[in-house]
Amino acid sequence: MLELRLVQGSLLKKVLESIKDLVNDANFDCSATGFSLQAMDSSHVALVALLLRSEGFEHYRCDRNISMGMNLGNMAKMLKCAGNDDIITIKADDGSDTVTFMFESPTQDKIADFEMKLMDIDSEHLGIPEAEYHAIVRMPSAEFGRICKDLSSIGDTVVISVTKEGVKFSTRGDIGTANIVCRQNTTVDKPEEATVIEMNEPVSLTFALRYLNSFTKASPLSNTVTISLSSELPVVVEYKIAEMGYVRYYLAPKIEEDEEETKP
Amino acid sequence: MEEEDLDEDVFLEETLLQYEEDSAVLRELEESHALNERLQKWKRLPLSQAYVSHTQSISFQQLEIDYIIGDSHKELLPTSSGQAAILRIFGVTKEGNSVCCHVHGFEPYFYISCPSGMGPDDISRFHQVLEGRMRESNRNSNVLKFIRRIEVVQKRSIMYYQQHVSQPFLKIVVALPTMVTSCRGILDRGIQIEGLGMKNFLTYESNILFALRFMIDCNIVGGNWIEVPVGKYKKAAKNLSYCQLEFDCLYSDLISHSPEGEFSKMAPFRILSFDIECAGRKGHFPEPTQDPVIQVANLVTLQGQDQPLIRNVMTLKSCSPIVGVDVMSFDTEKEVLLAWRNLIREVDPDIIIGYNICNFDLPYLIRRAEVLGMAEFPVLGRIRNSRVRVKDATFSSRQHGTRESKEITIEGRVKFDLFQAVQRDYKLSSYSLNSVSAHFLNEQKEDVHHSIISDLQNGNSETRRRLAVYCLKDAYLPQRLLDKLMFIYNYVEMARVTGVPISFLLSRGQSIKVLSQLLRKAKQKNLVIPNAKQAGSEQGTFEGATVLEARTGFYEKPIATLDFASLYPSIMMAYNLCYCTLVTPEEVRKLNLPPECVNKTPSGETFVKSNLQKGILPEILEELLAARKRAKADLKEATDPRVKAVLDGRQLALKISANSVYGFTGATVGQLPCLEISSSVTSYGRQMIEHTKKLVEDKFTVLGGYEHNAEVIYGDTDSVMVQFSVPTVEEAMKLGREAADYISGTFIKPIRLEFEKIYYPYLLISKKRYAGLLWTNPDKHDKMDAKGIETVRRDNCLLVKNLVTECLYKILVDRDIPGAVQYVKNTIADLLLNRMDLSLLVITKGLTKTGDDYEVKAAHVELAERMRKRDAATAPGIGDRVPYVIIKAAKGAKAYEKSEDPIYVLENNIPIDAQYYLDNQISKPLLRIFEPILKNASKELLKGDHTRAISVPTPSNSGIMKFAKKQLTCIGCKIPLSGSDRTICNHCKGREAELYCRSVANVAELENLFGRLWTQCQECQGSLHQDVLCTSRDCPIFYRRKKAQKDMAEAKTQLDRWNF
Repeated sequence: MLELRLVQGSLLKKVLESIKDLVNDANFDCSATGFSLQAMDSSHVALVALLLRSEGFEHYRCDRNISMGMNLGNMAKMLKCAGNDDIITIKADDGSDTVTFMFESPTQDKIADFEMKLMDIDSEHLGIPEAEYHAIVRMPSAEFGRICKDLSSIGDTVVISVTKEGVKFSTRGDIGTANIVCRQNTTVDKPEEATVIEMNEPVSLTFALRYLNSFTKASPLSNTVTISLSSELPVVVEYKIAEMGYVRYYLAPKIEEDEEETKP
Repeated sequence: MEEEDLDEDVFLEETLLQYEEDSAVLRELEESHALNERLQKWKRLPLSQAYVSHTQSISFQQLEIDYIIGDSHKELLPTSSGQAAILRIFGVTKEGNSVCCHVHGFEPYFYISCPSGMGPDDISRFHQVLEGRMRESNRNSNVLKFIRRIEVVQKRSIMYYQQHVSQPFLKIVVALPTMVTSCRGILDRGIQIEGLGMKNFLTYESNILFALRFMIDCNIVGGNWIEVPVGKYKKAAKNLSYCQLEFDCLYSDLISHSPEGEFSKMAPFRILSFDIECAGRKGHFPEPTQDPVIQVANLVTLQGQDQPLIRNVMTLKSCSPIVGVDVMSFDTEKEVLLAWRNLIREVDPDIIIGYNICNFDLPYLIRRAEVLGMAEFPVLGRIRNSRVRVKDATFSSRQHGTRESKEITIEGRVKFDLFQAVQRDYKLSSYSLNSVSAHFLNEQKEDVHHSIISDLQNGNSETRRRLAVYCLKDAYLPQRLLDKLMFIYNYVEMARVTGVPISFLLSRGQSIKVLSQLLRKAKQKNLVIPNAKQAGSEQGTFEGATVLEARTGFYEKPIATLDFASLYPSIMMAYNLCYCTLVTPEEVRKLNLPPECVNKTPSGETFVKSNLQKGILPEILEELLAARKRAKADLKEATDPRVKAVLDGRQLALKISANSVYGFTGATVGQLPCLEISSSVTSYGRQMIEHTKKLVEDKFTVLGGYEHNAEVIYGDTDSVMVQFSVPTVEEAMKLGREAADYISGTFIKPIRLEFEKIYYPYLLISKKRYAGLLWTNPDKHDKMDAKGIETVRRDNCLLVKNLVTECLYKILVDRDIPGAVQYVKNTIADLLLNRMDLSLLVITKGLTKTGDDYEVKAAHVELAERMRKRDAATAPGIGDRVPYVIIKAAKGAKAYEKSEDPIYVLENNIPIDAQYYLDNQISKPLLRIFEPILKNASKELLKGDHTRAISVPTPSNSGIMKFAKKQLTCIGCKIPLSGSDRTICNHCKGREAELYCRSVANVAELENLFGRLWTQCQECQGSLHQDVLCTSRDCPIFYRRKKAQKDMAEAKTQLDRWNF
């Protein structure tokens, strides 16, 4: 028996919006500690990790660990039917091949049940080990989203370089080049507008903008984003979900291919 | 201790050396002995006494005719002098002696129409002017006289109906064949003639190859028997060729036998099938400038015999013996090449065959010999001191598309490249020797990648033996294909029927064959054919055949099919459609022909009826069809399998030829296009289909006394499908025959509607797409017949074909629709669970040009480009068919970005885009079949519960996988494991025994499967104790073997997690 009641139902809606473009089908793993998902995107370049800890739910009951395969597109369709203020409850019986989403309006005058067929997904469970990073940048998520969007209109890849002065995003395309530098800035009124750089070693890495733009779909979840970089590791783009957990994206850096260099 | 050892070693070596020296002397003796023995075996039978003493007429089957420029023969042609064209006919006598016949006295010529009012004086003046102009444009030539003579002849142009019998033409005889073209150019542009002014002339029959002209005038058809009577031939003063019989004669003394009775047989030609192997460098396709030829395998067979005469292989460096094969090893590459040239010279093959020899093996050998500085090598033809010539050529025709090739001239020998022949005559998804053999012979061969060949060559004599066996198989398969597909019989018969040399059949298109027949017929009728100006494709198109609206559905009552027998040829015969019966609109007005003498075609053209003028095309067609009838009748009586093969080849050639006449008149870039004819033919065809439909639906009605109203449900170019609504096949057949006879009666002979077959049940999907069970007798159905459905299309993956075939079988034969639905569901589930055999998902497309030339990016082109970057040696080149599969990619990725090499996919465990296959490959064909049968077919088949289990493999080569760690999941319920659990979670502990058994069983099953596949491959390579090297992209077993190997490894890893 599984029953998870989330008062802030919109959170689940936002979570799904943030991953459904990258992943088509995935297993949600439920255990006593929380509700989580780990999946590679369909082109096997990026990895998504989601964690919603049990403490964040108003009511959390999970009798035994189970794994539920869902088509994220279909799940998003159902969650769209929930109002932004609705309380969402996820329910599943042992051995059942369906999952139920229950939406309660805040005034309790409307209750909706949506039952979705589960899928049997045979895939490997992957994780990226925790590591020390050379540089960690924390900045407003809206700002990061804007930068990625702007740069993708000029080039396909972005070079992220972190130095003591700040973090530089640069790209180059057919029509020209672009460079955006964000300086360390901790003297702001609101702490979520700060740009904080912790750096042990300068790093400079190249990434495909296509994926970063998919990651920024998670911006509604959190005001700040944390970008962790190391020269030998994939970048981690993390959006914290207040008091509950996170959505993390991992992306391997692009290794400059000969092909790119020989292009005129 | 050590010293003693050392001593012994030295001693051993010394004795060994001694022994080797002795054996070297012995070996040399042995070798020369062996060589002599071989030569004895290789040579042709010596000439009989009668031939040597010139007391016997020489009768031989000719295979190749060409010409050279030489001094005219003083004895045979005492009156002429200077240079002349001498024709050479190569052939074989029935005893098997090779013949080279030099034919003298035949002069090149063409016609122009004689301007009215030209008298004998004018002609001689015209002669002088033309001679002068010829001299001007051929300044460097030292020919004494360009225009030999100009004669006035009475002829008539083939174009348009004319009332007068003939009119004067000028026959212009020139000295050498090449002068025809330059003289035509001068006349086309126009010349100034005194008294007549500037005139340009339309030339007639000026674009005919000299050899063909000779054949037409001497009534010689390709591959027939020629006799030169005793006393009419003179032995050549000096033998110019390697042929056993070489002589000179006059063209007028040749007796050409038509291929009847005794003369329809085949002479015992010698057919050489060969294949070479080259040692390539890693990452490169072998190039003759660098990579040596290491083996040549040969197989010589006498035409008509089952067993080869000679089987040998020439290897560079030693090679262990092979049973039944003469292994000849050499120390240097030059010796290998020289041995092969000697073989060619001694064996003297009439036909050289192989697979892709024209574009690979032969050019490679010749280029390689050049690089090695072996000037003596390329003398492979029958002419002494004459080297083989190689030049690049492109062949293009409407039917076969454009192909690049190398044109290799080996004088006196016919080259027959099986690759070209198969590509021409059959539509296949792959033309590799392997898949062609699998298709026709049910025999696979191992496909050793050329990068492995070098490793085998650098091994020992055992590994080289391995290679030799492989090479021999490549030489053996073309011969088997040649026998199986009856290429020799079919091509010789085609040459005999159409009258062109055999070599034309492979190197030229359809139109030359029709032209050859037309010229022959025209000559009999005293007609001449204008050299049509190349109007290009601007002449426009015309309406094609008609297709009646298809009433789609699944018919569970018998459907009768009424076919027109050879519709287009019959129309041409019935309405006397020909170049020479066509009346131009002006002429119609001028001549005022009575309406009973002309036919006005539905497309508005006017043709005279045969009482005024019998058409040539109808006459050719009549003869072809009559000959076919005869051949078929003879075929029934014949008992000798070889005679049968000849006759069957002939009737097939006759049928193809009859059908290509219509195409010839419609080929706008052809030799003599006449759209008036072709559009009339199709317009009659359309009319007839409509007429048939009307008659059937008017006559077979309840009112007309029949039980049900008949309904025409569909009609195509030359057939009409009728539902008589009767319940049994027998009744439908009866009515079908009745309808055919009744309707045939309303047509002009020889147009005939025939009742041929019943479809029951019949699934009509749309125009040109249908399937049904075919019945020709009421007791048992013959087969399942499908048209335009994915069973026959080749740009789909095999999965579609299998799925569609199986479904049709279940629906039509088993009448089990639920079974078919279940089958589809199971297949889709397998696809989503990644249990599908990869070979079923491979799509192939031909790479016809490089990426830059394609306007839009295509999946196979992009893949070829990517593969070239990975490894240039294995990447497909232009002309190859590229196999690929579609893999998962980021959202919004273009289709061309998702193509991948199947082998790469297997090796890296890359996930297949099952959804793509579902949406783009199988859904349409399936829905087409099921929509007439099943309600909500799409929902039922493509979206049901069976689509809810999927498998997502983890690729081993992706960027993120370098960092990601696999977390163990429970074998039972797949939840991630934590803590000390390594195999199953706490919850599944109760099922431990069951799960373990499942793991063990899984491994055992996969091991068994892999073992069987491995043995299959070993059997295919012909050795059960050696590693399998084959990496054939065409072989389904190969993919399955690779996949089974991978699955087995994975299953084993899982089993290893249980550590009790």
